[in-house]
Amino acid sequence: MYIGYGLVLLGSIFLFLGSLGIYRMPDVYNRLQAGTKATTLGAMSLILGVGFIEPEWLIKTLFIVIFIAIANPLSSHALARAAYRANLTPFMKKKMDAYKSEFHQEKKED
Amino acid sequence: MKKLLVLLLLAVVGYSLITAMMGVKFGENRLGDPQDEKTVSAYYLNNTTQKLSVSNVITAIVVNYRGLDTLGEVSVLFLASLGLGSILYRKHKEGEEEVAILKPSSQLLQAGSKLIFPAILMLGAYVFIHGHLTPGGGFQGGAIIATGFLLMMMAYQDYRVSHSVLVWVESLAGITFAGIGMWGLLLGNTFLENFLPIGTLNNLFSGGIIPIIYIAVGFKVAAELTGVLDTLLNIKDKH
Repeated sequence: MYIGYGLVLLGSIFLFLGSLGIYRMPDVYNRLQAGTKATTLGAMSLILGVGFIEPEWLIKTLFIVIFIAIANPLSSHALARAAYRANLTPFMKKKMDAYKSEFHQEKKED
Repeated sequence: MKKLLVLLLLAVVGYSLITAMMGVKFGENRLGDPQDEKTVSAYYLNNTTQKLSVSNVITAIVVNYRGLDTLGEVSVLFLASLGLGSILYRKHKEGEEEVAILKPSSQLLQAGSKLIFPAILMLGAYVFIHGHLTPGGGFQGGAIIATGFLLMMMAYQDYRVSHSVLVWVESLAGITFAGIGMWGLLLGNTFLENFLPIGTLNNLFSGGIIPIIYIAVGFKVAAELTGVLDTLLNIKDKH
């Protein structure tokens, strides 16, 4: 019971921080990482907390948590990749680009 | 001459619309108070649960009270997909090389969408099978299934949905819908009349013909939207 309330509190704090990050961060990549981390952990612990408060829903909430754990990082990965492919420059000047070599290798294979 | 004809046709349509709309007062609440027994909304809200044993009143209105209208909506979707196909279909000319617009997606996305795809299909089926009990219904469930197919088409460049299967599914679903309507005409008095036992409220097998029609609508919408997406994604650039 109290574990559930704690999880709900933790989740709402993370969701709040995530929305703050989306509002505050300067460019796509930063916003993406703030939003993804917050919604993954925030929504997962929030829903799991609801499952602990109402034990009848625990199995359903577990399924939702598993689904979020698969879908959420995947979608943000696709978004970040699309942003990189669209040549969106990061906010700071590029000093290191680990993905560049791999990306060009991929391009040659096309 | 052709332009004149078009103008004349437009004038006729506009005149008939204006004469029909003249009697309607603008900005008036014509639905009336649901508490008032004489209004249609009160009738729906008070009688749906007892007479049809359907807990989702909107489904009862869409499929039972206005079933013919839903048949029209489904055929509008069919017409849209047909029009899209006829516009975008282009014969492959000899010696012409074509390049797909889509870029290959990453391995992570491919593996992940393989995992999620069955779950999306199951969610869509759940939404349209339980259309008479919970929010949602045939159109929504069909759209969810089509998004699942869209995900697969985006993740795998060479993922193809067989168009003949789509056509078969769509035609069978449409025939089921119209056939149930004709069956109601044979057994009862009106098109799409309920001829099955209505069962008890909140059971899966209840509501007479509503679940069957919604399952047919779900399959039809899913097949149509998948066909539309497939046609749109297969637009090729000239090399």
